Amino acid sequence: MTLEFTEAEIRAILPSAILFLTGLVQLLTDACLGARDPEGDRGQKSHLVLTGAAGSVLAFIALGALTDPSAPLFSGALTGDLLGRFAAGIIIVTTLLTGLGAGGYLGAIGRNRGEFHALLSFGAGAMVLLAQSANLVAMFVAVETLSLALYVLAGYVRDWRESSEGAFKYFVMGAFSSGFLLLGMAFLYGGSGGGIDLAALGGHGDEPLIAVGAVLVLIGLGFKVGAVPFHSWVPDVYQGTPMLAAGWMAVAVKVCCFVALIRIILATGGNTVVASLVEALAVVTILLGNLAALNQTNLKRMLAYSGIAHTGYLMVPLVLVLASHGDGAALSGSLFYLATYLVTTLAAFTALSTLQQGDRDCDTIDSIRGLGRKHPVVALVITLSMVSLAGIPLTAGFMGKFTIFSDAVAGGKWHLALIGVIGSMISVYYYLRPIVAMYFHEALEETEKAEAAWGLHLAMLLLSVGILYLGLFPESIVSLSRGAVPLLAGH
Amino acid sequence: MIGLPILTLIVFTPLLGALLLAFVNRKNESVMRQGALVVSLVTLLLSLVMLVAFEPQNPGYQFEENSSWSETLGIRYHLGLDGISVLLVLLTTFSMPLVLLSTWRAVTDRVKEYQIALLVLQAGMLGAFVALDLILFYLFWEAMLIPMYFIVGIWGGKQRIKAAWTFFIYTMVGSLLMFVAILYIRSHTGTFDLPEVLRQLRSDPIDEGIQRWLFAAFALSFAIKVPIFPLHSWLPLAHVQAPTAGSVVLAGVLLKMGTYGFIRFGIPLFPGAAVWATPFICWLAVIGIIYGALLAWRQSDIKKLVAYSSVSHLGYVVLGIFLFRTSGESSQLISEGMIGAIIQMVNHGLSTGMLFLLIGIIYERRHTREIDNFGGIAKVMPVYSTFFIIATLSSIGLPGLNGFVGEFLILKGSFTANPLFGALAATGVILGAVYMLMLCRRFLFGPVIHQENAQLPDVSTREVIYLVPLVVMMVWIGLFSKSFTDLISPTVHHYLQNLL
Repeated sequence: MTLEFTEAEIRAILPSAILFLTGLVQLLTDACLGARDPEGDRGQKSHLVLTGAAGSVLAFIALGALTDPSAPLFSGALTGDLLGRFAAGIIIVTTLLTGLGAGGYLGAIGRNRGEFHALLSFGAGAMVLLAQSANLVAMFVAVETLSLALYVLAGYVRDWRESSEGAFKYFVMGAFSSGFLLLGMAFLYGGSGGGIDLAALGGHGDEPLIAVGAVLVLIGLGFKVGAVPFHSWVPDVYQGTPMLAAGWMAVAVKVCCFVALIRIILATGGNTVVASLVEALAVVTILLGNLAALNQTNLKRMLAYSGIAHTGYLMVPLVLVLASHGDGAALSGSLFYLATYLVTTLAAFTALSTLQQGDRDCDTIDSIRGLGRKHPVVALVITLSMVSLAGIPLTAGFMGKFTIFSDAVAGGKWHLALIGVIGSMISVYYYLRPIVAMYFHEALEETEKAEAAWGLHLAMLLLSVGILYLGLFPESIVSLSRGAVPLLAGH
Repeated sequence: MIGLPILTLIVFTPLLGALLLAFVNRKNESVMRQGALVVSLVTLLLSLVMLVAFEPQNPGYQFEENSSWSETLGIRYHLGLDGISVLLVLLTTFSMPLVLLSTWRAVTDRVKEYQIALLVLQAGMLGAFVALDLILFYLFWEAMLIPMYFIVGIWGGKQRIKAAWTFFIYTMVGSLLMFVAILYIRSHTGTFDLPEVLRQLRSDPIDEGIQRWLFAAFALSFAIKVPIFPLHSWLPLAHVQAPTAGSVVLAGVLLKMGTYGFIRFGIPLFPGAAVWATPFICWLAVIGIIYGALLAWRQSDIKKLVAYSSVSHLGYVVLGIFLFRTSGESSQLISEGMIGAIIQMVNHGLSTGMLFLLIGIIYERRHTREIDNFGGIAKVMPVYSTFFIIATLSSIGLPGLNGFVGEFLILKGSFTANPLFGALAATGVILGAVYMLMLCRRFLFGPVIHQENAQLPDVSTREVIYLVPLVVMMVWIGLFSKSFTDLISPTVHHYLQNLL
């Protein structure tokens, strides 16, 4: 049998192929050159950073080369639609910025090894594939591939106790959730009479197997995106993951898994059981995520719970779409929110990555006390991201919440907007705590800053500009997200 | 009219100044101070240019700027100025140079951040006064919060952190509910643009029941800012803990955001609900007037006393605003109350602002604000005491000074609308005179009991420079009140006629 690919197929696979190749190149370069580096694991290894950056930029450019979104690619396994491209764009930008900072950050904690850079690229390749998947098998393969990269990154620093604990927990929970996902897919397969293409799942709305399958998939992917009540692993895993990798996980995983969730739920037609389940999950996730974040003293855990709460906000547009029987327009709110979430959350993690205590992350509120005086720039970036996370105007976070809440009110679900707002009120409290610590208190502990880490500083600058740009001039990305939706509502 | 986008210039000059200061080396503290002062003077100059071009007879929006900001989200960059906001904008630009001068020496820690915070705060306040798009207004409204939070939290007194928290949480809770209400208005009318929203609501009003909820959301947000009793508990804390500049800005301008919000948004957007809520709000205002006065009477800390007097004075403003019609069957519209309220907002800004500045001066010298630690200051600091007495007299509404004009109009309005409220409010005036004059007696007169006070230096030239303009304005408004009410009344008449 000969394999023949059409041009459209090659174009579609190009972004993830580039990312996978980049990972390989990074791994091989490090194998050849790594031993010769005089600074060893404490160096910045700028060649790996630049290779990664070049790969991400190329992959991003390749996204623009996708054509003919409606044609089935690889017998329906992939799609080149705008939704996938939008999500892939966010994933690639996240990876680019994380990769930029990785050299300086890992050097500062003395663990700069090639596999970290390569794992980022491999993981990103799988995430892009997941965002573009159009059938169940491709999705499952992509989910498992990206999970492998994540498990390793979570346990990357073997001698941190939290790291081993987190990685182990993540692996067990991840395997568990994959089981749910796979079982759900099996039900969908059976219910639709043997279809693995998402397009084939529609039109069986009353079939109970489809409903059960959709609920199981919701649980499986709910684990991955960290929706309550499937969220308990998130804070533990973040706490053990190196700061910079935690930021990448927080953003990129959420993006691709959320897109997969959207695709499956909408493809199954979204009957009332699923619709009310999603709504309940959204409400619980917003409230519990915010409440649990309130008394965290560890910044990683706080950001983990905040990420959970943001998952709740993200689900609100999905509720609206299900309630309006498939008018996908509101989903643009989720997509735009993901873009704002990218700059905001990644800025927080990146800024925190510039700080170390010895070879460890600076991850408690006490450790950043007095930062406003010692490292005003880092403090300013953290402040900006906290303000944006809290959804205060002139930042990306506000615009993201604004689109979601205003769609909710317009869609007649004003109670969801109200719950979102209550969540935001709660969140103000814990997002202000780092600011209070940085500016209103004097320093308590010794922290060092990775001064030489050019990549971290560049990423921090780009992310801060991104927060303000999306907060002041949201127009371009909002219209892009609007454009990415209609093709989805074809069912 | 002048061809320049004057409102944009006024709003963004402080912001631009803040941005430029961000690039100045933090060791250059004097450049930082002078730079901020120059920026605030330029802003003042721009606002004076605007005043010259302002047409008092025109009741509509002037200097309008209206362009799309985000087409897909429906947000417009719509600015405009009318008789309701013109004096408030001037009050803001007028007080900022004085505030900056007043902290020339008081703030020595993190001077750079301090000047930047004040300028950003000013931009936020100016923007909120001229924004005519609901979301734009909300943006400026919230943007004021952050710099004020830092001013209290970094440069404040012993309990600064608690004060900053309370201030932030209170205000944020209120504004988020307003945000949901704004979104509802959008879903009803399809736009955030205030004039357009009002036009649509006139032909297609929101159902009365829902109106009440929406009004409640707006009113809560504004009432916290004013603050109306019983939502006032954040104010004395924030006032006392804030550095002098913070207190002056807070009392001088920030509190007026709430009352301005009622006039500009709360009442015209939901006239039915506003009329329904009028008795309730008026009672709260009257309680605030008397309760605030009684609390002020009992304070031993001068700053706290003035802070509680603010609660009382702002009660008048709220009362004046909400007495826009007579009660009973044949309801008539009364404009005195609202005109008086707007004038009173300015007056309160001047007199309370000046009192806070004076308290700052004595605190810099003695590092205490307990009334019992003073006495006989008039002998030691005669010029200072003269200023203090002028500010006191302005605050209690002595005829010939500014305070009288506003109070008189509000009382006249309230006696026309509802004599009971008039009588109660008048009691507040008497109480106000009692506690302020008692303060003067214990603080300024009598023998010099404490030796520490015997050698206090009188006001310096710098301090005179920022106090004199305030006195000039007080006398000016007091003697030539008509030139000020003339700026306001055409707009208010027009506003009330279109209300119901």
